[in-house]
Amino acid sequence: MKSAAITIFVLLVVLVLGLSLFSFQVRETESALVLTFDNPRREPITEPGWYFKWPPPIQTVEKYDSRLKVFEADLAETTTKGAVPIIVKTYIAWKIAEPLSFRNSVGTVEEAENKLHSQLNDTQNTVIGQYAFSEFVNSDLSQIKIEDIQAKMLKSLEETARKDYGIEVVDIGIKVLQVSADTTRDVFERMRAERKQKTENTIAEGEAQAVKIKTEADSMKTELLAAAEARAKTIMGQGDAEAARYYKMLEDDPELAMFLRSLDAFKKILAERATFVISADALPFKELKMGNIPSFKAEK
Amino acid sequence: MEEKKKENIGQEQSEAGQQGGDFVESDAGARSLSEALKASFFILKLIMIALVIFFIASGFETVGSEEEAIVLRFGKIRGEALKSRSAPYWIFPEPIEEIIKIPVKKTIDLDVDSFWYFQTEEERLSGEKKRVGPTEPLRPTIDGYCLVRGEKKEGLITSLGESDYNIVHCKWRLIYQIDNPKKFFKNIYVEKSKPGDVYFEIIRKSINPLIRDIIESSVVSAMVHYTIDEVMFEKVGRVSENVRRLVQAKLDKVESGIRVVSIQLFDITWPLQVDSAFQASIMASQRKQTKINEAGTYSQKALNEAGGPIAYELLGALKEANTGEERLEFLWLQLAGQAQKKIAEARAYRTSVVKNAKANAEYLHEILTEYRKRPQLVTQEIYKTAMEQILENADEKMIIQPVKSTEGSEIRFLYNRDPSLRPRKPKESGQ
Repeated sequence: MKSAAITIFVLLVVLVLGLSLFSFQVRETESALVLTFDNPRREPITEPGWYFKWPPPIQTVEKYDSRLKVFEADLAETTTKGAVPIIVKTYIAWKIAEPLSFRNSVGTVEEAENKLHSQLNDTQNTVIGQYAFSEFVNSDLSQIKIEDIQAKMLKSLEETARKDYGIEVVDIGIKVLQVSADTTRDVFERMRAERKQKTENTIAEGEAQAVKIKTEADSMKTELLAAAEARAKTIMGQGDAEAARYYKMLEDDPELAMFLRSLDAFKKILAERATFVISADALPFKELKMGNIPSFKAEK
Repeated sequence: MEEKKKENIGQEQSEAGQQGGDFVESDAGARSLSEALKASFFILKLIMIALVIFFIASGFETVGSEEEAIVLRFGKIRGEALKSRSAPYWIFPEPIEEIIKIPVKKTIDLDVDSFWYFQTEEERLSGEKKRVGPTEPLRPTIDGYCLVRGEKKEGLITSLGESDYNIVHCKWRLIYQIDNPKKFFKNIYVEKSKPGDVYFEIIRKSINPLIRDIIESSVVSAMVHYTIDEVMFEKVGRVSENVRRLVQAKLDKVESGIRVVSIQLFDITWPLQVDSAFQASIMASQRKQTKINEAGTYSQKALNEAGGPIAYELLGALKEANTGEERLEFLWLQLAGQAQKKIAEARAYRTSVVKNAKANAEYLHEILTEYRKRPQLVTQEIYKTAMEQILENADEKMIIQPVKSTEGSEIRFLYNRDPSLRPRKPKESGQ
């Protein structure tokens, strides 16, 4: 019983010791190289899992973090096609893709970044030099090629980085795009001029629109009144037509009718502010004067 | 085997017994040794049991409500990510299995103000607008800004060669969260946590540089596609959406397992150097609006005066060829204002003219019989009545006596031209 316990205990200790000497784990976030007497003989391990090896000093394991690393270049002044100075800053997202090649060419992350730095400078100068400034920013949308420029930089860097250093460049991006200090002054000048023109246009536009609205309103008003006038005329015409039916009745004695109508007219015409000058011979004064019976004769 | 061993030991003991007193002391020693061994075996057993208990207990793990956990077995991700639940999970303790908890629900925000002009701490805190001379340049290493495209102008040659662009300053705020813990764990570098560190803070510190780079490059790429007026006034939402799309595309490309929750154009301004020009432009826009509003008011008033609120509709109906008679009539009835007045007058005219004609006709008929019998008398009577009425209403009445000798002579009256100033008593002259 006792010896069995000892046996199990000893076996366990031996197992743990043995496993730690003869095996190793590769995590999901890393890749590993097995070195036999400091020489990488086996293929690099990029799949996570549990692996066997000979104990040191025969075989040792080197692990490389395979996660994303970001690296920012310095602010750099370069020139575009057409020699326009431009200031850019680029970042690279990269990871160790081939640990063997990485170990042989650079070894450490710091060294890799140094190498990438100079590579990036070359790439930047070459690629940006192939594009005109107007392909970075342009009033014509179809001329803008900033995505192409970044894609080209990525492609150019990707190839050399993988081949030479075992590095995979996953992403590259221009994070600063500026012009020289002197140029900004010119830009301000232009912006001011543009704004001024815009201001003037806005004012003129406002005036024009206001005038248009008013004119439209006026013309609508005229139109409406004209339509109302026409309708009024029609109504008046209807009245006249209806009245005409009664004129027929006047035909019984047109002379009397005219006489009555004239009197009516006078009454209306002379209803206000009239100064009436009449001969004493006229009716009814004639009677006043002569005292005799008047004969029918209308006098003007 | 065991039994054989026991037998052996039994034999040894009996042999020792036979050998007698010489071995009494050594026998006692052996006994105490065996007791000590027994005790240590017992302790060992206890330790082993304790180890087993510890081994089992250390495998219990809980996953918090804001987390998801992934389990590595021999370094390889095992199954799906573990979600939060009330009961603990049991996993094999290290080195067989390892649990990594990742905060998935917690959002992380990141302010990016690298496209802003340089401000001292004081200026930033006071929030006042920095004073900048109109010709002061922006310094590449110190001031941040974005280039935006110029407005397309037909047939206009710009002073700066082929390209036309403007400058803006902007600030962005991004909120993101870990969406896919497996991808995140596999691809995104997170520093090793030291005792006392808050894991969430370590994550934030580890990933923010990457996110910042991605936003900045997305902003640079997006902004060149918009004009200054678009980014500042007209298409603010679309610009943010564009940047969000670019950021998310990049995050997906690097398989980060991170999702952008929102991205916001937090602040934006034209360069301070051109402030006055832009202020003037804004004023002009306001003035334009005022003018248009005024014109609108005028228009409404004019139409209202002309025809009331129905004017517009009526005009439309009149222009429409197939408006029904009934509808038109209805609209005419709704009319107000000057147009309505005209029509009302016409209606009044119609009524009065018909009434008059009717009255005249009836009157004629009434007196006709009498007139035919005594025409002179009737007409004179009518005439006199009329004169009476006329003279009664006349302001001035003058009766002139014609004399034979004055035939051919003139009568002249002098009147003030303005009738309202006319004196009450007329001047008479001549005969």
